[in-house]
Amino acid sequence: MEYIVETNQLTKQFGKEKAVDGVEIRIPKGEIYGFLGPNGAGKTTTIRMLLGLMRPSSGSVHLFGKDLKNNRIAILKRVGSLVENPSYYPHLTAYENLEAIRKIVDVPRARMKEVLKLVRLQDAANKKVKGFSLGMKQRLGIAAALLHQPELLILDEPTNGLDPSGIIEMRKLIKQLPEKYGITVVISSHLLSEVDQMATTVGVISKGKMIFQDSIEAMRRIAQASIHLRVNDPKAVHQALLVYGQKADIKENSVAIQTTADEEVASIVQYLVEQGFAIYRVEEEKRSLENIFLEMTKEEQIR
Amino acid sequence: MLSIMRSEWYKLRKSWVIWLLFIPPLIGLFLGQISMGDIGEANQWIIKLVMANATYALLFLPLITGVVAGFICRYEHQEGGWKQLLALPVTRGKVYLTKYILVLFLVLTMQLLYLGSMLILGAIQGITDPFPWEIVWRSILGGWVATSPLVALQLWMSMIFKNFAAPFSINVIFTLPSLLVINSERFGPYYPWGQPFLMMNIGGEGDNFFFIPWEQLLMVVGGSFIVFFFGGYLYFQRKAV
Ligand SMILES: Nc1ncnc2c1ncn2[C@@H]1O[C@H](COP(=O)(O)OP(=O)(O)OP(=O)(O)O)[C@@H](O)[C@H]1O
Ligand SMILES: [Mg+2]
Repeated sequence: MEYIVETNQLTKQFGKEKAVDGVEIRIPKGEIYGFLGPNGAGKTTTIRMLLGLMRPSSGSVHLFGKDLKNNRIAILKRVGSLVENPSYYPHLTAYENLEAIRKIVDVPRARMKEVLKLVRLQDAANKKVKGFSLGMKQRLGIAAALLHQPELLILDEPTNGLDPSGIIEMRKLIKQLPEKYGITVVISSHLLSEVDQMATTVGVISKGKMIFQDSIEAMRRIAQASIHLRVNDPKAVHQALLVYGQKADIKENSVAIQTTADEEVASIVQYLVEQGFAIYRVEEEKRSLENIFLEMTKEEQIR
Repeated sequence: MLSIMRSEWYKLRKSWVIWLLFIPPLIGLFLGQISMGDIGEANQWIIKLVMANATYALLFLPLITGVVAGFICRYEHQEGGWKQLLALPVTRGKVYLTKYILVLFLVLTMQLLYLGSMLILGAIQGITDPFPWEIVWRSILGGWVATSPLVALQLWMSMIFKNFAAPFSINVIFTLPSLLVINSERFGPYYPWGQPFLMMNIGGEGDNFFFIPWEQLLMVVGGSFIVFFFGGYLYFQRKAV
């Protein structure tokens, strides 16, 4: 399979600490890749290496199937990026900031108006960026990243500093990029909820290690709901359920079963009652994706 | 390369840094105005220029050069400019070279402004002697050549330090001693920060095209240029942003 982004054993060491440790990213074309991890997990460090801003201690980066080390210019022509806080020249206006970039990437002038409109900054185009709010700077950063019509867009926490309506707008904007323009998007965040409505693939990094990488559906499957039965004697119920042929886990004072099909739950309850157990509560527990994400990164932290 | 130059020039010309270039020539004009050296028979221009060149080349030329080099990096340091610039399809080598050439160009501009200020000075004071063009050109160009290694070092330092004061202080620390060092027969010729003065000192040795021996030009100016330029170049290649 041809990947737009592919890293092999990508590692970055600061002193003794491995900020990124053997990370293998695989992103097919047209995906929106949610790159998730708590603060300090190594997202920004990874992204810096993807863009050649920082040299890996070991491992390699391939973008568009080409080694970044030997094809930097050719690759970067096709990549737009926004790393950490938005970058800008404070003494220039929004328009002038784009012009400084345009002179290097060489696109028609009209493209500047286009991207400013795309991020709804056309009214502030001639104001000095110094006086922009964080959200406006963030938008300008995205406009700059889109200026040369990249095929791969790498955004590091782009919703940082945006208000709720700004976040929704951004989501809408990003969501249409793959369909409309065939752009592949990498978007990092420390909140799953920020990307779960647009991401098609998710990578979770914690303490520098990639601990999960799959489609968002696969992640949802893990997050499937379960039924908790509060009973008088959880141990005995657990035994009985195993005899019945139903997998179950003992929790503190309840027994959890993975199935949520109405029929099955009904017959299991009936069976337990027939066996003489007292059932106090039948509760459905929905684990949110966010919970799964938290659990994933927590487990990693304990180790 | 040309496109990077256009972008750099655009960023620069939208800032007020360019106005700094007028300061040293204006100071030269002022100092020339108040200095009342009168050696009698010699060409009046030469007397004025010897006086004005000394302060200009010893102090203001290297100092303002450092400020300009600092500024050309400052707007990159300020709000993540480096990472935006270096994630564009540019090589670091070209970015470095462009910034270096741009500062050199500004220094040359400043030299020419200084020349202009001297002509104005003469007009104000009503000097009627013929203007010694040949000598003056040699000193203007010589001062420029002698500043080129200093520009490289200042650019290097400005790329390392995010804060503006650090490279400026380093510049001052090396510039001030040249006031003393140039008086030393033994060390003067070897001190890079003294070279702009020596190469603009029109009263100096007159046999060469420039006002210092060719060996000194090659060894001291050329040598320090190579060390400073490639030091900065290699540093920038590896800099993590
Ligand atoms: N230049 C550096 N020198 C030393 N350590 C660094 C450097 N940059 C990052 N680190 C360390 O590497 C680790 C990963 O940092 P990184 O910025 O990649 O995290 P992140 O996932 O982007 O976090 P956040 O969500 O806070 O942005 C952190 O422990 C950080 O302290
Ligand atoms: Mg980060």
